[in-house]
Amino acid sequence: MKRVILPLALLVTMATAGEQFAMSDADRAMYKEMLENNPADIYVEEGGELFEELGDEAALAKFLGVSEKELPKYIAGFPRYVKKLGNVVGLDQVMQAMQVEQGKKQFKLKSGKMFSMLAYVKSLANDEVANIDLSEPHEKASYDLGKKTFMTARGGRGLSCNSCHSKDIVGMVLRTQPLPDLGDAGAGATWPAYRMTKSSLRTLQRRFQGCMKNALLKVIPIGSKEMVGLEVYVAKLAQDKKKPIAIPGLKR
Amino acid sequence: MQRKIKVITTAVMLSAVASFVNAADLTKAYEMPDASKMIEKDALAKPTKYTMPKGCISTDAELIARGEYIFHNLNGKKAKKTPPKGLVKFIEKKGKDGKVKKKPKQYGNCVACHNIEGAKGAGNIGPDLTGYKAMFIDTKTRDNQFVFQKIADARIDNPKTHMTINLTTKLFNEREICDIASYIVADKKK
Ligand code: HEC
Ligand code: HEC
Repeated sequence: MKRVILPLALLVTMATAGEQFAMSDADRAMYKEMLENNPADIYVEEGGELFEELGDEAALAKFLGVSEKELPKYIAGFPRYVKKLGNVVGLDQVMQAMQVEQGKKQFKLKSGKMFSMLAYVKSLANDEVANIDLSEPHEKASYDLGKKTFMTARGGRGLSCNSCHSKDIVGMVLRTQPLPDLGDAGAGATWPAYRMTKSSLRTLQRRFQGCMKNALLKVIPIGSKEMVGLEVYVAKLAQDKKKPIAIPGLKR
Repeated sequence: MQRKIKVITTAVMLSAVASFVNAADLTKAYEMPDASKMIEKDALAKPTKYTMPKGCISTDAELIARGEYIFHNLNGKKAKKTPPKGLVKFIEKKGKDGKVKKKPKQYGNCVACHNIEGAKGAGNIGPDLTGYKAMFIDTKTRDNQFVFQKIADARIDNPKTHMTINLTTKLFNEREICDIASYIVADKKK
């Protein structure tokens, strides 16, 4: 199994985040300690063991029709169009299809086991920059749907993702929390991550659900076309800022 | 759900047995729930222009207290202090199963984006509303109708607003919008 390391780039962002995010000294000390020993490492390790049961990298590469050597770069292109699955899908959905193909019990997309396995598999692409390919028509369509979903105001307060994550309000403060630039924060490249405020491993789509819930947008299910599209959209933002994949991330 | 997966699994295995040449059809072998209808139902209605009802803005202390409470709190679950008279923390709603459920009443959480007198942990996405009466109302730069419309549906004078929409979404009723507006334009010097 490939060892999962926390890349230097992340360390640096976290260190500077200290000032930016106005944490207390106690919080900062905790952050520093957690950086050296990300609590998510155990989940990633668990995910690696679950993945082994499916036949490891060799089986995944075969399933996707790529060589093992190409696998990390290929993983960095997810969510992507997988012809035999007939859709633009996330890595978690690929895992589900592999489980079905092998006659194994399928993990739910929202289950802890799936989160762990997803974290492990995505970490195989650590240090790669995402390579969402908008010249591929299915992926372009998914990106467009994601962008539309991002921009659509809805819910009890009439907010969209863009209400809080548009360029013109990045860095402003929403009730003591500075609003991150999703590209600069490498959001698309640093989830699954350990969320300190939730004391657990969360995926990017799970994080989207958190924002939806907080802002009174109806929470849409993980794995829906819109969620996959949002992930494509947010991954592309990180790609445009050349943020390398760094799993597991560590978040407030 | 669990049963459905089993059915799919067996189906896939069966088809694998049935045809040696064709690989199993995996296009349904993973979850991809529909969200489009949820989003459609959750859509925001068109920008709507409102006229402030008679007696909307008031200097009544009880009413201003309600506006203040709505301004500074997110919902009945998160709010710590007891709400002022005429405002509740939980509302009872009948669910689909006919059972009555207690749901936290949503408030404005305006402080997330706006500073104002006595705010704790205010955000700065929206303009500072401190000293609003002296700065905007007394100088006639703004009037009560403007404030009412802004809170009810901010898109009327700013189509690209980042502000929440509070009346068109039915988050609040007219009276509540009036309470909040009364609080904003109130003289807060004690
Ligand atoms: C009302 C404001 C608001 C809305 C609406 C909102 N967000 Fe957020 N979002 C935030 C804040 C504040 C944070 C940072 C929270 C923190 O520091 O933990 C955040 C963080 C995030 C992050 C994590 C960034 C990181 O550091 O990796 C993602 C991803 C995200 N939002 C996506 C979305 C998406 C997608 C939507 C729409 C479905 C959305 N947000 C809607 C306020 C909002
Ligand atoms: C997500 C951020 C956000 C929230 C929450 C929010 N606002 Fe705003 N508000 C803004 C922004 C941005 C503006 C300026 C742009 C505009 O006028 O549309 C604004 C403008 C205003 C103005 C107009 C000020 C002036 O004279 O120009 C008033 C009044 C106001 N908000 C009141 C409220 C009230 C009351 C609430 C809660 C019910 C609230 N806001 C919630 C972001 C927000």
